Amino acid sequence: MNITQSAINGKTVLAPEGRLDTVSAPELEKVVKDVIPTTDELVLDLAKLDYISSAGLRILLSAQKAMMTKGGMTVCNVNETILEIFEVTGFSDILTIV
Amino acid sequence: MKMEKEKKSFWKKLRDKLTPDLMFHETEVQANRLGFLMLLCSGIILVLILILVETGIFPLQGDFMRAAIIRSLIEITALLVFCKIVKYDAWWLKPLLIVGMVIVYALLDSMLTHKAAILMVLPVVFSSRYFSRRLTVFTSLFTTVIFIFSAYWGATHGFINLNIVTMEEGTRMVATGGFLGDAVQNVLNLDPAAGNKMLIVNTLLYDYLPRWLMFSIVSVISCNIARKGRDMVVTQHEKDVKGARIESELNLATRIQADMLPNIYPAFPDRKEFDIYATMDPAKEVGGDFYDFFLIDKDHLCMVMADVSGKGVPAALFMMASKIILANNAMMGKSPAQILTDTNEAICANNREEMFVTVWLGILEISTGKLTAANAGHEYPVVKDADGSYEIYKDKHGFVIGGMPGARYKEYELILKPGSRLFLYTDGVPEATDADGNMFGADRMVEALKAIDPSADPSVTLKAIRAAVDGFVKDAEQFDDITMLNLEYKGDLS
Repeated sequence: MNITQSAINGKTVLAPEGRLDTVSAPELEKVVKDVIPTTDELVLDLAKLDYISSAGLRILLSAQKAMMTKGGMTVCNVNETILEIFEVTGFSDILTIV
Repeated sequence: MKMEKEKKSFWKKLRDKLTPDLMFHETEVQANRLGFLMLLCSGIILVLILILVETGIFPLQGDFMRAAIIRSLIEITALLVFCKIVKYDAWWLKPLLIVGMVIVYALLDSMLTHKAAILMVLPVVFSSRYFSRRLTVFTSLFTTVIFIFSAYWGATHGFINLNIVTMEEGTRMVATGGFLGDAVQNVLNLDPAAGNKMLIVNTLLYDYLPRWLMFSIVSVISCNIARKGRDMVVTQHEKDVKGARIESELNLATRIQADMLPNIYPAFPDRKEFDIYATMDPAKEVGGDFYDFFLIDKDHLCMVMADVSGKGVPAALFMMASKIILANNAMMGKSPAQILTDTNEAICANNREEMFVTVWLGILEISTGKLTAANAGHEYPVVKDADGSYEIYKDKHGFVIGGMPGARYKEYELILKPGSRLFLYTDGVPEATDADGNMFGADRMVEALKAIDPSADPSVTLKAIRAAVDGFVKDAEQFDDITMLNLEYKGDLS
């Protein structure tokens, strides 16, 4: 999977593209693990994400937990399909979606 | 008697020595096939040479060569027939092919001498295909010895190489029958003892040695190929063994997992108030989905539908723990919300890998049809009223179990009237994807449910849904576990 990484105003922005499932989740997990110690605030731009499976949600959950002790994590550009998955699984309650 | 026994044990020993490890069996048969092909080609070439000699185009010396070619052809034919008879598969075929090949090529070499220097390397290159360095070394040594004779015969009977014989200046060569070899013979005949010695020395020095030096390079390369080939076969074999072990363990794990879920139907043959049926189809050998149903007491049926994050072995391990903790909490008589809350605490206590599970859990009061349920991040249930059709029931959602310690869950109540149905599923159903990446979707799922005869048994209902999913995805690979449960509430019939 293609993950674009950029830095804006001291925040790190990660933008995964395509399907975030069992196959691609380990790639994002590795990037997130590398990024977390180096940044105070993490932004996940999901504009180009088509689908997220439970394996992908797990990555979001551990990133969210890790960033709680720092500047926090926000999720932006969530499309309708993914927002529905967030709502069904209760992730919309724990994530900061803007 | 004793002699016989010893003889037998020698053959047995030889056989054991020549029979390769089972993992090399296929390689050996393939190498024998290659040997067959090489000999077949060589036979064809020999026939062509024979024709050229007989028609006088090829200036070889008559009787000796003719005899040698025919002798080689007989040998080749015999080897080819042996190969076919045992279908390339016999322990004695390998040495027979190697030795036979060296002799055939040595004879051919003695006819053509320096014009076919390449013949010497063929058996040793071929031997490397057996992936045995010992065999290649043996072939090299055997070739080295046999080709000394062929070089000597070649000098006296084959294509003559005039460099072999040193002649005094002014020597006149007289050839009879037009063969230069005869001329050399004539020179040698002047002083047979000294001439023969000179011929041997010169043959070895000017003809054999340069060829043998080149040959030794090929031998070294062939030995290396044989050793590397052997290593590759061994490594592959180890991987295969390991793979087979993992596969058999996974097969057992699949059965253990399937046996953990209630799977004997009818599940409650003496209960006429309801009928229940559920299936789980993992995408991999083991899955992260599970369903469960059991009676808490005579009047309360607990139903669970759950989906662990991820797939395969990690999900299956987590699924086993979740299922047991949920069932234990339910059997203590707690309410659905309390069961989920307590299960969440238990799982969060030891969850360093941050796995989670979505759970829908409901408890049906069989006598009244009152269904109390709570949802921890799981798909919406689909409910069919007694006189209505299936509709998605958008219930209240809590967070997934294992996600956050301290999560609270709310429960809700539904009244099932006799004739009502409940359909539970995991995301594998709506998210089943066809080859073009289109998802089956919750809408299609509900439509498919509506299309089924409302009086159909739960088992028939689930089979119809599975058929609808399969019809949609066609031959695309199943991507996620597919798990479904159907409850038919018939009411208190007593």
